[in-house]
Formats: sequence, C-alpha cells, structure tokens
Amino acid sequence: MPTLVDILARVSFLAAMPAVAGILVTAGLLVVSRDWRLDVTALTLQYFFVVLLLTRLIRLEVAAVKGLTGWMICMVFYLTERRASMLEQVPSDEEKAGSRRWKISARASFCLLAGLLVSVASYTAALRFPLPEVPADITLACYLLVGLGLLLIGLSEAPMQVGLGLLTFLSGFDLFYVALEPSLAVAGLLGAVSFLIALATAYLRAAQIAIEGDRSTS
Amino acid sequence: MIAGPLLLLILPLAVAGIVYILLRWTSLPALLAVGTSLALGWAVVTLPMDQPVHVWGGRQIAMGEAVTFFGRELVLEQADRMAMAFMFFASAGIFFLAWRFAPRSLLIPMGLALLSLLSGALLIRPLIYAALLVEIAAALSVFALQAEGGTIARGGLRYLTFTTLALPGLLITHWLMDRYALTPDETGLLAAAASLLALSFALLLGVVPFHTWVPAVVSDSVPLAGTFVLTIGNGAVWFLLFDFLETYPWLSSHPRFESLVFIAGFGMVVVGGLFAPAQRRLGPLVGYAALVDSGAALIALGLNSKLGLTLSLLSFLVRPFGLGLMAAGLSGLRACSGGDDDVDALRGLGLRAPWSTAALVFGGLSMAGLPVSAGFVWRWALYRALAPSSPSSVLFLLLAGLGVMVGVWRGLSSLLMRPGAIKDRSVVSTPHDNWLTAVVVVVAILGCVGVGLFPQVVAPIAAQLAETYTFLSP
Repeated sequence: MPTLVDILARVSFLAAMPAVAGILVTAGLLVVSRDWRLDVTALTLQYFFVVLLLTRLIRLEVAAVKGLTGWMICMVFYLTERRASMLEQVPSDEEKAGSRRWKISARASFCLLAGLLVSVASYTAALRFPLPEVPADITLACYLLVGLGLLLIGLSEAPMQVGLGLLTFLSGFDLFYVALEPSLAVAGLLGAVSFLIALATAYLRAAQIAIEGDRSTS
Repeated sequence: MIAGPLLLLILPLAVAGIVYILLRWTSLPALLAVGTSLALGWAVVTLPMDQPVHVWGGRQIAMGEAVTFFGRELVLEQADRMAMAFMFFASAGIFFLAWRFAPRSLLIPMGLALLSLLSGALLIRPLIYAALLVEIAAALSVFALQAEGGTIARGGLRYLTFTTLALPGLLITHWLMDRYALTPDETGLLAAAASLLALSFALLLGVVPFHTWVPAVVSDSVPLAGTFVLTIGNGAVWFLLFDFLETYPWLSSHPRFESLVFIAGFGMVVVGGLFAPAQRRLGPLVGYAALVDSGAALIALGLNSKLGLTLSLLSFLVRPFGLGLMAAGLSGLRACSGGDDDVDALRGLGLRAPWSTAALVFGGLSMAGLPVSAGFVWRWALYRALAPSSPSSVLFLLLAGLGVMVGVWRGLSSLLMRPGAIKDRSVVSTPHDNWLTAVVVVVAILGCVGVGLFPQVVAPIAAQLAETYTFLSP
C-alpha cells in the first residue's frame, strides 16, 4: 500500500501552476459558498494543493505532516458542522436559499466579484512585489491565499467563516515562511496555531448552535 | 534540581488540569488558582537567581538556570522576573474576583494555562517563538472568553483575528534582521522591519483603527476573562515590545519613534474618550476605558525617556485594580439582570446589587484616573511630565478621563434610579451579592484606594523594572 509520501511524490507533477489554479478555485469557493459541505471539501483540497507546493520548498515528510495537520483541521470542521446540522431542526434562510439550484444570491454575487478583484490584485502584487526566496508561481499562491483569506475574514462574523479565513491566511503565510525559516520547531508551532484556531472557532460554532437551540425551545 | 523556568511553565499547566477537573465546585478551583499564582509570584520575586534553594524532600530549585526546551533556550532574566511577578500577582487578583463573579467558568483553568504560555513567551529566545506562543495564547483565550449559555464571544474571535494578522510581521522581522546582520549595506531591510513591527504591535495593542477588538472583548464575553486579556495578555505583548526594543535598540532611536508612538497613543485616547460616554451598554464602556488607559501608556512611552518608560510600566501595574473591579461589577450586574448590561435593563438594580455597583464605580474612578484611586498614581505623574512640552495632550487626556467618568456616571444614575413599584424599593441583596461577595469587593476596593493613597508601594517597582531596560536615555 503506498504511503502518503509516495502519493505526494506521484502527483508532484501538479506542484506548479496547476496547484496555484487549484488554490484559486478552492479559496474562491470558500469566499463564495456558505454550504458547509462545500466549504470543508474546498478546505481539504486547498490543503492538498498547498502541500504540493510545499514539497518544492521543504522535505516531503515535513510537507506531509503539514498536510495531515490541515486534514485533521478539516475533520474538526466536518464533525462540528455535521453535529450542528443534526441539531438544527429548521433549516436557516441561507440554507433554503442555497437549496434553490441555479440561483445565485446577491451575497454570493458580491462575494464572487470581491473575490475576483482580490485575485486580480494578488496577481498584480505577485508581478510587482515578488517575495524573496520563493519562485514566482508560489509567490502568486501566497498572495492569493493571504488576500482571499483576508477577504473571507472581512466578509463575515460567523465563527466558521472567520476560522476558514484565518486558516487560509495562515496557509499563505506558511507557504512563504517555510522558505525563510525551515526550522522544525517553527513548523510545529505554526501547525499548533492552525489547529488551535480550528478548535477555537469550532468551540464558538458549538456555542452558537447551543444558543440557537435554546432560543428555538423557549 | 528543578530549573526555575521549567517550574514556571509546568506548574501552572499541571494545576490548570487539576482545576478543570474540580470545576464543578465553586470555591476550591478558584482558591487553588489564587494560591498557585501567589506562590509562583512569590517564588519569582524572592528566590535568588544565582544559587539553588533547598525546598521539600531535599530538592533544589535554581531560578536562574537556563533550560533547553526542544532546542530553544529558556532563561529567566531580571526584566522578565519582574514582568512575570506582575503577571502572576495580577492573575491571582483576577482569579480572586472570579471566585465570586465568574465561578465555574473556564477562565480559571484556561487562565492558568495562559499564564504558562505567556511565561514561556517571556522566557524563550529567540523572539519569534515568543510571538508564536502569544498567538497560541490568543487562540486558547477564546475558550475563556466564551460565556456558558451567553452570546458568542465575537470579541474573542476579533482578538484572535488581530493577533493572527500580527504574527507574520513579527516572524518576518526576525528574518529581516538576520539578513541585515549579513548585509549591513541594505538599509532598506531596516525600514521594512520597522514598518512590519509597527504594524504588528499596532494590531496587538489595539491601536486605532485596529481597536475594534478591545471594546468587543469585554462587551460580549466573560468580563473578567476580558480583563485577563487586557491586563495579562496585553501586558505580555508590552513586555514583548520592550524585548524587541531592547534587542534592536535602533528602533527606539529611529527619528520617527517618538512621534509614531505618541500619535498611536493619542488616537486611542481620543477615540476611547469620545466613544466611552456614548455607550448605552456597560460592557463596551469598560473596553473603551481600557483603550484610553492603553493609549495613555503609549503616550508615556512616546516621551522616549526613562521616566516615560517607568510611567508605562506603572500603568500596567495598576491597571488590574481598575479594570478588574469594573469587570467584576459588570459581571455581578449582568448576573442580576439576566445577562443584559444595557443601562435601561439595569435601571434600579443598584439597590439589589450594591456591591457590584460599588465595584463598577470604584473601578471606573480608577480607569478614569481620578484622585484617591490606583489609576491616578501614574496619570498625575504623566500630566506633570507632559505639561511643559505638550499641554494640549494633557487636556485631551483629562477630557478622555472625563469621558470615561461620564459613561460610569450615566450607568450609576440608571442603577440608582428609584424603582416604580414600592416592593422593589427595599435594599435586598440578590444571591450574587451576598456577604462573601461583599468581602471580595471590599478587599479589591481597599487595594485600589490603598495604591492610590500610598503610591510608594508600586512606583519603586516600576522604576526598578524600568532600570532593567537600556534602550532609552535617562
């Protein structure tokens, strides 16, 4: 049975512009979508593409561990949202709107437009202000992740959205910083930071569900 | 032999675990946390640095011994020693108030865990690890800030967001400085490092326009947990700033250092002073009072002298008195009003919760910098230091204090409003405001007034602490 490192080595041909395109699509999905299933899937894929790019900067094993941390974070979000959807008896307005197919809400249109603007700004920034110690395509990926992460944080005050935004932002920074500081201790602490952010936002989401549950029963 | 740094890191964490298990009881976990914090504070202050001390069972504690932890050096230096003593004693005070005003809350175990992390941030070298530990502490503090059954702690989320946004700047600065050491001709690296540091610390300290987390962290969270963040967490950030200034002395000698720090502080004072009297809820009022206090501390640092640094340090030493009392009063009043802290919802509640009301008012007096309160001690000295060079800034500081006082007065007038029904007019204490609560509040108020009347108790500590830093001229 192939190990995670073997799998990463086999798909290493994607670790260039295809991975950057993947990051653009997945981070864009996180900005536009409010469906938790889509969000968790997009985050899982985003971590996969980030790990692919990381393999060009650090050892494959370290990149694989970073990927595992990311996928554990996705698992935390999945379990939290799954529990939340089980507890929610009445679907929220956003979910009702989401269930209407082929209709894009005004919010989603705005988010899409804002996401496009940030992506163009990231592309321009990558051309004008290249980051030191990293190749051009990884620079673009860093700017995209940081820009779209910031946009995600700014667009919502919902714990999960903010959490996804913070993690996207941190992924972008991590992709750049591993080239500057390849220390394992720093990598471990950055992983711990990401995991704790995920736990904190999941905790707040659980509190939100508990409050909504109390309101609906009273 | 037990190395001191290891003791300071591991003991709070271990007690945090025990306290979490005991959380079903009201008094035991809080008093255990108070005892642990006091014991560690006492150990940091009194145990000698240069020789090991015998403790129980023939074991020895060597406070000054450096420890290597995952390849990084942890060492207790003189400046860190005083800073940690402040953190432990202030935490003990907050846990003491939490005993009556936030019993069984996650603040107590999480507070101990945060103490361990923030101690690590002060002890560890190089400073990039300190920045990462402060970020981890911010993520953990979200658990303490979220009230059980209360609204979502959006303030905690914002605090976490701003701390995360500050992290890259701090980490990249370290790399820039390492690179500058190799290529001293590239002066652009210094400019980039200074800009990144300024932005990162502006985010961490809540400088306008990045201040939105400061009022939010108290308004929709456990107020005493908010106080913990704004005193202990914020204090650790200040000491981290001083460590950066000490490590890179060219930062404080930068021609724009004074003006930049002064403008940042001035902005916080003006915004806090304007928004505090406009609040209809007491929670944000406490946050804006803290914003004014932080701004005034930055103005003191902007003096770019030993006196200014001493005043900044003195402000951290006395802030827990005022902010802790305000937060305790707010907690008590919220408990009586079913979680609402709007002035309309609190109408007439002062008669039912007299001790919470007293705590809020005395804390407000201190945060506004009024005489015979802890806050007055350093504000008066700041006014005197600023008056010859910048009388207008003294006027603004006084007006900001007045703004905070107007907010407190507005709350007090609503709290003391005579209830309509005759049956509600008798002074009957609620279960939250019993005699034990009264004892805790009286002790805290006596501490606050005592420091105001006898500033010679804390002022020499601040001066001694300032002496350990060499980045400013006398």
